[in-house]
Amino acid sequence: MVVTLCAMSLPSLAQKKENTSRGNPAARAFFKETVRPILERHCYRCHSHQAKKAKGGLVLDSRSGWAKGGQSGPALVPGKPGKSLLLSAVRYQDLEMPPKGKLPDKLVRQLERWVAEGAYDPRVTKTADREKGINIEAGRRHWAFQPLEQMAPPDVKNTRWPQTDLDRYILARLETSGLRPVPDADRYTWLRRVSFDLTGLPPTVAQVREFASDGASRARERVVDRLLDSRAFGERWARHWLDLVGYADQIGTSNSVFAQHAWRYRDYVINAFNNDKPFNEFIREQIAGDLIAADRKDVRQRAASLTATGFLVLGDIEIVESDKAKLLVDIVDQQLNKVGKAFLGMTLECARCHDHKFDPIPQRDYYAMAGFFHGTSTVFKTERGVWSDVNVIELPETKTQQTDRARRQKQHAEKLAGWKSERKQAGDRRAQLDKLLGNKDLSKTERDKLTKERNDRSGRVGQLNKLILHAEFFAPGVPRIHGVRDVEDPTAMRITIRGDPRALGDRVPRGFLRVASAGQPEIPAKQSGRRQLADWVAGNPLATRVAVNRIWQKLFGEGLVRSVDYFGLPGDRPSHPGLLDHLAGRFIREGWSQKKFIRSLVLSRTYGLDSRHDDRAHAVDPDNRLRWRMNRSRLDAEALRDAMIMVTGQLKPSTGGPAMPLEFPENVGGLDPKDVNPPNFRFSKWRPEQEFERTIYLPVIRHGPQPGPAMLRNVFDFAEPSQLTGKRPVTAVPTQALFLMNSPVVKKHAVALARRMGKENNESKRLGLLWLTLLNRPITETEQREAVGFLRETDENAWAELCHALLASNEFLMRM
Amino acid sequence: MTLDRRELLRKTACGFGGLALGGMFADSAAAANPLAPAASHVPPKARRIIFVFLAGGPSQGDLFAPKAYITSKHGQAIKSPVGDDGQLRVGVARFLPMAPVKPVRPRGQSGMMMSDLLPNLSGVADELCLLKAMVADNKAHAPAALQLHTGHIAEARPSMGSWLSYGLGTENQNMPGFITIHPPRDGRTYGAGFLPAIHQGTPLRVPRQDGELAISNLRDPEIKSELQRRRLDFLQRINRRLLNRVKTDLQMEGIIESFELAFRMQAETPGLIDLTRETKRTLEMYGIGGGASDANGRACLMARRLSEAGVRFVQVTIDGWDHHGNIRNALPGSCAKADQPIAGLIRDLKRRGLLEDTLLMVSGEFGRTYWSQDLTGTNPIEKHGREHQQESFCTLLAGGGIKAGLVYGETDDFGYRPVQGQVHLHDLHATILHLLGIDHERLTYPHHGRDYRLTDVYGQVVHDILS
Repeated sequence: MVVTLCAMSLPSLAQKKENTSRGNPAARAFFKETVRPILERHCYRCHSHQAKKAKGGLVLDSRSGWAKGGQSGPALVPGKPGKSLLLSAVRYQDLEMPPKGKLPDKLVRQLERWVAEGAYDPRVTKTADREKGINIEAGRRHWAFQPLEQMAPPDVKNTRWPQTDLDRYILARLETSGLRPVPDADRYTWLRRVSFDLTGLPPTVAQVREFASDGASRARERVVDRLLDSRAFGERWARHWLDLVGYADQIGTSNSVFAQHAWRYRDYVINAFNNDKPFNEFIREQIAGDLIAADRKDVRQRAASLTATGFLVLGDIEIVESDKAKLLVDIVDQQLNKVGKAFLGMTLECARCHDHKFDPIPQRDYYAMAGFFHGTSTVFKTERGVWSDVNVIELPETKTQQTDRARRQKQHAEKLAGWKSERKQAGDRRAQLDKLLGNKDLSKTERDKLTKERNDRSGRVGQLNKLILHAEFFAPGVPRIHGVRDVEDPTAMRITIRGDPRALGDRVPRGFLRVASAGQPEIPAKQSGRRQLADWVAGNPLATRVAVNRIWQKLFGEGLVRSVDYFGLPGDRPSHPGLLDHLAGRFIREGWSQKKFIRSLVLSRTYGLDSRHDDRAHAVDPDNRLRWRMNRSRLDAEALRDAMIMVTGQLKPSTGGPAMPLEFPENVGGLDPKDVNPPNFRFSKWRPEQEFERTIYLPVIRHGPQPGPAMLRNVFDFAEPSQLTGKRPVTAVPTQALFLMNSPVVKKHAVALARRMGKENNESKRLGLLWLTLLNRPITETEQREAVGFLRETDENAWAELCHALLASNEFLMRM
Repeated sequence: MTLDRRELLRKTACGFGGLALGGMFADSAAAANPLAPAASHVPPKARRIIFVFLAGGPSQGDLFAPKAYITSKHGQAIKSPVGDDGQLRVGVARFLPMAPVKPVRPRGQSGMMMSDLLPNLSGVADELCLLKAMVADNKAHAPAALQLHTGHIAEARPSMGSWLSYGLGTENQNMPGFITIHPPRDGRTYGAGFLPAIHQGTPLRVPRQDGELAISNLRDPEIKSELQRRRLDFLQRINRRLLNRVKTDLQMEGIIESFELAFRMQAETPGLIDLTRETKRTLEMYGIGGGASDANGRACLMARRLSEAGVRFVQVTIDGWDHHGNIRNALPGSCAKADQPIAGLIRDLKRRGLLEDTLLMVSGEFGRTYWSQDLTGTNPIEKHGREHQQESFCTLLAGGGIKAGLVYGETDDFGYRPVQGQVHLHDLHATILHLLGIDHERLTYPHHGRDYRLTDVYGQVVHDILS
C-alpha cells in the first residue's frame, strides 16, 4: 500500500522514509529521467502489470509493488541500500537480476543512489483495490450516519419535575440510574448564567434587580427574549462559529499581510445569528454563496451570500508558496478539512493520502469531495515576487450605499487633490530654494534660513507622498470581500500522491461521502458542483446532529457527544442518543432557527439546575454525563475581557466594520506597487475606542501574540486561528494568575470600577452595589464583614484593591 | 467528602493543566503531577537541552561549508543546478555563484570548517558535531520555523519543548519545564498545541534596564508586596469559601493553586535570572559588557542558569540571519552578536561539567543558497545577498551523547542537495528525543481520534552521530 500514514499504527520503514524526498524537485527529476527508464527497460518485462507478469510475485511498476515485494519480501527499503534485495540482485550478489546479463555499473550506482536517497517513487497502480479494507455498507450503520430517529419522549416517574420534552429525556436516564437531579439554581445564578451564555456579558444591576423582583411566570421567558433580541447575542455566538473557521484579519503567516476585507465575513456571521438566518441556509451560503447569489433579488441578500464564502477563503493560506500547483492542492485540502470539521464532524483530511484509518472514508471519497473545490478559485498570483493573494470580489450595492459611496469618493478626491496640490507647491518651492541656495554669495544667516525652509518643504513632500500613497491605496470604493468563484471549466480532481501535485493518480468523479449519502449528485456542465455539495451537507442528518450538539455544548458545558468536532467511529458516543435526535428533529421542524432552539434549551428545567455537588450522584456519574447538575465553566477570553469592561461601565457599542486600524498610515507598509513583498500591517496606533469595544471586533492575527487591546486572548485559551475547534481548552496556568494580579490593564479596570462604585456614598450600600455589579447577587453578611475588615486594614487605594481582588476571584471568572 | 485526585485526574484524561499544576508543590501528589520527572524509554544521554535558534536562515556556505566549485566560479554565470521546475525565485534574475564573504578554514583537531567570522566558536570546534546535510520541507520563514519547532509546517502542533516537558517533566518543581528566551514572534513555536497547557513554553526576556520584567506581568512594580499579599489572601479566602460550598471543582482548585505558584514565581524568578551573581570572568566569557554580543550573551548565560536549575528545555533565539541583500556587509555584524555568546555557553557548560548531560543544539530554520540573490537587479555582486535554501543547511550539536568533532553529511558541488548523511528535521527530532531517553514513536498524545507524535509518522534516529 502506497502512502504516508496519519495514524497511530507504527509505520513500516518504507512508509516512513519516503517523506524525505517529498516535494523535492531533484528527486522527482532523478526518478523520472533516470530510475524509471532503467526499471522500464530492464525489469518490466517480467515484473509489471503491463507485461502481465509478476515473477516471484514481484511487480516493479508501482511503489506499492516493490514496497510489498514478492515472495522474498519487500524488494527495497528506502534509505537502506544494504537491506534492499533489489540492489543485491542487480549487483549479482545472491539473486542475479536481470537474468540475461548484469546491468552496467553506472546504472547499478544510479539505483543505489535512488534507494539511498529515500527511493522517491510517485507511481501508483489503479486505486480500485485500495478500498479493500473499507466496508461502506457496514460503515453506514454507525449511529452518526443513520437517519434521524423520532420517538416519543420517554416516560418518567416524577412527572412533576420535567418542564419540557428535553427534561423528560434527562430525567428518564437519571431515574434508570437511580439518581435525582439537584435542586434548581437560584434566580441570581440563573440570570448570570443565561446572560453570559447568550450574550457573553453579565447582567446589569438594573436587570438583576428587575428579574429578582419579577414574580411573573413569564419572567424567565422575558429575560431570554431580551437577550436573544440584543445585538450582543450575535456578537457572542458569532465568535463560537469563527473558532471553527480559523478566522483572522491576516492572510497566511508570512510577512504580516492583512486580509483587508475579512471583517465583512465576521459581520456576516454576527448578522446571521442576530437575524436568525436558518442554519441550513447558513451552511449553504458558506459553501456556495457565490452560486446562490445569482438567485437572490434583494441586493443585501445577494451581498450576504457572496460574503459568506469567506468561510472557504479565510484560512491559513500559504500565499508565499512558490510552487503554485502545490498551493492549489493545499488550499483544496484546507477547504475540505474545514467543511468536514465545521459541518460534518469528520476528519476528511486523513483520507488525503490513504483510506481513512478509522472511518469508512476511502481515499477516493476524499478526492470525490475535493473535486468540488478543485473547480473553485480562491487565490490569484500577484505581480509581486512569488506572492499570491486571496480573491477579492466586489459586492452589489444598495441605492443608499451607492449614494454614500459617491459622497465619500467625492470627499476623498477633494482631500487627495488638496494634498497633491500642496505637494506640488512644496516641491516647486523646494526647487526654487535649491536654486537660491546655489548662489554662493549668500550670507550664513540667509543660507541657514533658506536651508531650513528647504528641508521643511522637502520633509513635507515626503510626508505627503506617504499620505497620498496610503489614501490612494485605501480609496473608498465598492464594498469588497474575500471569497471564491467557480473556475472557468471545472473538472474532477485527480488523486495527488501525498499532496504532490505532480504525482497524479486516477481522476475521481465529484461526489459525496458514500457512507453518509444515498445517492450521488448530478453536476451541471461548467459548474464546480459546490451548490450540490451545499445542499447535500445542509440536508444531511450528520450535519444537523453536529450543529445541535455544538449548541448544546455551549449551553451545558459538554456536548451530548463530547467530541464535538468528531463524530467518527472512535469518537464519543452520545450520552442521550434519543435526545440528540429529538433535538435535531425539532431544530429542523422549527425552520433551523437557532434562536428558537436556544430559547427552548435555556428554558428547560435541566438548564436551570444548580451546579452544586451531590455525593451520591458524583459517585455514580462523576463526569455528570447524565446531567444531574449544571456544569460550571470558566469564562473564555472574550467573555472575561468584555465583562471586565462592562462592569467598569465603559463598554462601547459597535456596529462592526474593519478590525484592523489600517486607516492610520503608520500601521501600513509596502503599499508601493514596486515592492517585492505584499502590503503589510503593524500596530503602531489604535483607535481610542478599540480599548473598550467587544473583543470580537478586535483584529485577529495568525502568526504571533494577539495585539494591543486583544492581548488578553493570549492568556486565556483563545482559539488560535490555526486550530479549527468547536471546543477550546480551559487551562489554569500561572501566566493567567500573573496577568490577573499584576497586569496594568486589570489594575486599570479595578481603579475604574472603584471609581464607578464611588458614586454610592454609603459604605454598606456601596459594597452591596459592588457585589451586584460584579457577581450579580446580593452580598452576604460574612462577605460584608470581611470586606469591611479588608477596607479598614488597607490604607492605600482600599476600594481599588478590593475591586482588584474581586475581579480576579473565581466567582467572577466562573459561570456557575 | 473525599476527593480522590488521582481518580479524577485519570477521568479528565490528563487534559487539564490546572489540575496538574495543583500537584506542583505537593510531593504527595507526585503521581498526579504531569511535570514530575518520568521514566525513560531508552537510557538517556542528556537530561536537558538548550536550543539556540538562529532565526532567519544563516548562510551555511559562508559559515561552515564552503564549496570549492562555487568559489572557483565566483561571479560567473553558470548553468543553474536546478531543473525546470526548480524554484529559484523572488526577483532573482540571474544566478551567480558567490564565494564566502570571509575565509572559511579548518579548525581544531577535527578540521571542522568555520569562518573567520566565528573566532570564538572556532575555538570550541572540537566540542561540536556539524550536520552538513540538513533538510526542511518549506522555504518560507514562518512554515520552516514552525516545522523546526513542532515538526509540522502549518498546524498548531505541540512544540519540541512542550513534548519534552510532557515526556520528561521538569527537574525544578518551582519553574516551568520549558522556557524560551526572546521567543520568535510566532507563538506556535512555543505553544503546547493539544498537550496540556502546563507544557507550553514560558517566554522570558532579558531585562535591558532596571524595572523591566523578564516574564510578562511577573510583578507589579507599583505595589508593595504586603499589600499584594493581603489582596491575595482576601481573594484566596473567598475562593476557598466558594470551593467549600461547591465541594469539588477541579478548575477552581487549579486557579487557586495557580495564584500561589504565580506568587512564588514572582518571588523566586528574579534571583534565578539575576546575572549580577555571576563572576566577571563568566560575564566576559559570554561577551557581556555592553558590546555587540551583550544582549545575546546575557540570554545565553540566562539559559545556562535556568538549565542548571533544572528547566528541561531552554531556548534562546538569536535573530538577524535573513541576508537577502549585501550579505558581505551584514553577516559580520550578525556573527559578532552571536559568536562569543554561543562559544561562551559551550565553554561554560563544559567548565561546570554540565556539557556531559546537556544537549546543545544550534540551528536556523533553513540555510541560504550558494548563489547570490539581488533583489534590485542592478547591484554588483559585492552587494548581493543569498536566498533561502531548505535542502542543505547546517546544524550544530554538542554535549550529551553527541560525537564531538564529527562532521556529518555532504551536499553536492552546488550545495544544493544532500549526497550523503542527509538529516531531515524529523530525523533531528527523533535523535533529540532519543538522546533524552525517549523513543519518538512511543511519545504520543491522543487528539482528534488519533495518537500524535512530534515526528508524526516520520523520523529516524541518526545513530551515526551518537557517541
